[in-house]
Amino acid sequence: MRRILNALALLATSLFATDASAQCDTIASICEKHIAAAYIPDGQFYRALLREDEVAEFELTLFGGTTYRVAGCSGLSDGNLVFSVLDKDRNVLFTNKDHNNDPFWDLVVAHTLDVTIEASLDPSKLGSGCAVMLVGFKK
Amino acid sequence: MKWASACAIALMLHACGDGAAPEEGTSAADSLNVPTDKREAGVMNVGGKLFSIPSPMETALLIRKLGLPYSKELPLPNEDASRFVSLSQRALALGVYGADLGYVTIHHDGQQAMRTLQTVERLSAGLELTNAFDQHLVERFKKSLSSEDSLLRLTGSAFRSAQEYLKRNARDNVSTWVLAGGWVESMYLTMAQAGDEPAEGLAQRIGEQRRTLRDLILLLEASDEDGTSAPLIAKLKDLQTDYAHVSTTYTFQAPTVDAASKTTYINSSSSVTIPAETVKAIHEKVKAIRSSIIA
Repeated sequence: MRRILNALALLATSLFATDASAQCDTIASICEKHIAAAYIPDGQFYRALLREDEVAEFELTLFGGTTYRVAGCSGLSDGNLVFSVLDKDRNVLFTNKDHNNDPFWDLVVAHTLDVTIEASLDPSKLGSGCAVMLVGFKK
Repeated sequence: MKWASACAIALMLHACGDGAAPEEGTSAADSLNVPTDKREAGVMNVGGKLFSIPSPMETALLIRKLGLPYSKELPLPNEDASRFVSLSQRALALGVYGADLGYVTIHHDGQQAMRTLQTVERLSAGLELTNAFDQHLVERFKKSLSSEDSLLRLTGSAFRSAQEYLKRNARDNVSTWVLAGGWVESMYLTMAQAGDEPAEGLAQRIGEQRRTLRDLILLLEASDEDGTSAPLIAKLKDLQTDYAHVSTTYTFQAPTVDAASKTTYINSSSSVTIPAETVKAIHEKVKAIRSSIIA
């Protein structure tokens, strides 16, 4: 019986992971629409599974002379993800919280800087979910 | 009967997630029940953080912007791809050829771009990444040959699909090798063009790779389960010692927001100082690392 329960626990965990991955893929497809044709995708895919007040962080370098489009999504509709761009001293350079959780925003970067993007779910809209961040750029 | 009960419990667990009810106002349709163990779902993170490695396409655009001349001999010959047989060799080479694809594309070498794309397609098949690089992509690429920006977009999208697939399938090692190959080749192409005394903008860009190098090492270490990446990590760490001579300054200035166009202008300023001898040392080491990847 113990072996059976272990196997089932493994199965349940595997099903959870499969579900989450599939949901991330669906959300990514929705989110990709925000990276308009004028932007070149950066070739990467950032995602994190979040619950309640968890915060995902990802670090990137924004190069001077470049315009970046940052898109952040969770769930099946826009506005569920709050994301903020912080410099190395934690100064807030942008937060979509000031713009009704807008799912995408353009950042025109004059000089190269290292930033951290923090993403969390809007607790009034989602209890848990897959957060997807996508980045595109143009010169 | 016990089996049936156990299965029922497992399925209920699956259906119900963690049992945590969404808070008031939470959209049930949008709410996803997910495991708390991020690693299990194939999310690549190090110390709770995700890292971005600059796209080779971004470097290609910089090369275009600086007006550096085209050197047909720089990209890795397509015929060399057949000698990469191990998983790590193929994944690193995929990154290398991806960067080469960006390079030949911005120099309007359509024929070479098609050949490189076909090499990328073959390598990706060996890595079971045909969902991202398939015949359909090749056809779309052919149709877009006259528009380099379209080609760069197609390439960027294909590499994103590949990364998505690799992360979904918890193949973090392959994902990181592709990024590493792309980064090393981008550095090689940039520095080979610039020589040991690059123009100011280019030297600055070389210096700005310091954090990327750190992140790349962290990602390789985190995904290296069997020591395959150890030699590459050692070489990158050696390169890191030269980056210790790069100094940077940063001054925060309040950004300007244009809400109507959904645009924020980031006005903070920064500078990078990189001694000429450091540029030379980095150039030599990048060449050596690239040679080890394509050996």
